[in-house]
Amino acid sequence: MELTKDDVRSLAKAIDLEIPEGDLNTVALRLSSLLDLMEQIETELGDEMDKVDPIPPVYPREEF
Amino acid sequence: MNENELAYMSVAEQAKLIEKKEISPVDLIQLYLDRIEKWDGVLHSWITVCGARALDQAKKAEAEIANGNYRGPLHGIPFGAKDQITTGDIPTTMASIIQSDFGEGMTATAVTKLEEAGAILLGKNNMHEFGKGSSVNFHFGEPKNPWNLKYEPSHSSTGSGVSVSAGLVSTSLGEDTGGSIRGPAWANGVVGIRPTFGRVSRYGGIMYAWTQDTIAPLTRTVADNALVLQTIAGHDPKDPLSSDRPVPNYAEHFTKDLKGVKLGLVREMSVGQELHPDVDKMLKSALDVLTSLGATVEEVSLPKAKFAIPLQLLTSDPDVASIFVRKWLRQHWDKFDVGTRTRMAAAALVPATIHSRAMRGRVLVRNEILNSFKTYDALVALMNFVPPLKLEDSVEKIDNKEDIATRMFKSRRICTYPFSVANVPAISVPSGFTDEDVPMSIQIAAKPFDETMMFRIANAYEQATEWHTRHPDLEKTVGPALGAEMMMAGE
Repeated sequence: MELTKDDVRSLAKAIDLEIPEGDLNTVALRLSSLLDLMEQIETELGDEMDKVDPIPPVYPREEF
Repeated sequence: MNENELAYMSVAEQAKLIEKKEISPVDLIQLYLDRIEKWDGVLHSWITVCGARALDQAKKAEAEIANGNYRGPLHGIPFGAKDQITTGDIPTTMASIIQSDFGEGMTATAVTKLEEAGAILLGKNNMHEFGKGSSVNFHFGEPKNPWNLKYEPSHSSTGSGVSVSAGLVSTSLGEDTGGSIRGPAWANGVVGIRPTFGRVSRYGGIMYAWTQDTIAPLTRTVADNALVLQTIAGHDPKDPLSSDRPVPNYAEHFTKDLKGVKLGLVREMSVGQELHPDVDKMLKSALDVLTSLGATVEEVSLPKAKFAIPLQLLTSDPDVASIFVRKWLRQHWDKFDVGTRTRMAAAALVPATIHSRAMRGRVLVRNEILNSFKTYDALVALMNFVPPLKLEDSVEKIDNKEDIATRMFKSRRICTYPFSVANVPAISVPSGFTDEDVPMSIQIAAKPFDETMMFRIANAYEQATEWHTRHPDLEKTVGPALGAEMMMAGE
């Protein structure tokens, strides 16, 4: 995933966030890298992920 | 007893002297105030020191104790709090310059519990801006490692780790989302714990990673850590996710040996990786100690652990960013450190579909870790594959994707994020030093709410080694920098 500065600018506009030109590239690099890694996770774990609920791991009431 | 000995004593040792009236809480507070005055111009481990308030409380504690009203082992003991933990009328800056106080008059339940036990707040510890661990520039001075100023003191609850290590306070409360307590404990040679999520109330912590944030102590010994944790633990109506499970007396379960204890050495967080020679040597020595105490150690593989870093950054960071965007990022972009604002902006743009998928991924990582506890009483891992880095190498630099891979995804986080994502308790215990006197640690994790086992193992290990008895020689490590600091300050 190679998000451009324009991609990031458009995404940010959707949440009313104006990112100055000088930081756009860094934000694009950070987000692109995260999305790349998520693709790897989907490749390896995607089928398993379909079979569980996305329950936050906050479990004061669970038994161990 | 000289001043250094008193400054570096454990809470338990200081408490005995206070109870026997051999020292006064006033003496102890004044000692730490003097040391902060002398050393913190270089170490930058405090943002706010409330000396007059602390001395006033110490005098009250002294009078209570003199009148036979000794409250227990924290009575008269000074503590610090990371400056994202609220403390009533004492400002909570978040190490930010956006506003002078984020506390809104709140007092964190953990702080209230310590004060009810008689402990005395000495001040607010420096930290990475908003506790995000990505700071490049520090608005309140860059915290320094008291063992060797050339090396990093690690990220986030940095001032808490530095001040406890340097003998500037008895203990400090930190906050750990992905390793923000354990990291500074590792780099500064002290004990730091991430408790089970829900064990300690989150109320009054300015922290928005609502599925991962924890408040807990940094201390000079494991026993001190257990004492402070059990004091601040327990259900709090102000935190709906705090647990109502009874809080054990952890020290009652300490044993000299570890006979019958089965430990899993996590391959992906230790021997399965390319280790720095000093770390490799330290780990082998630590494993020898654990087995000599009677524990059995087997390698265990947790292959999904390698996904913990992106999964946290795709789930908890967007949770945090959702607050940042509305309250601060839109209006105050330029007042944020560049590392904080670009990390939060990237998190704010993660699509909801990705966030949801990543939450499913976290369930799988967590299940894998929890399943391992069907076989093992606890897991052993490193805190990092390398010792603490030189300062210039520790700053997160994001110029290209390779930088991100090395700085974000192959860092200390690979050893701390898995236990954070799974929300199990984990502790960083001093385990050795490099040739340049930089500390290193091992990490011990246990199943949810089994801090008892984790503390038992950590304490037995600590007592069988001498690492906790070593303290930085500030005259040697910090002294030479004092003159330069005064010249820069124009004195």
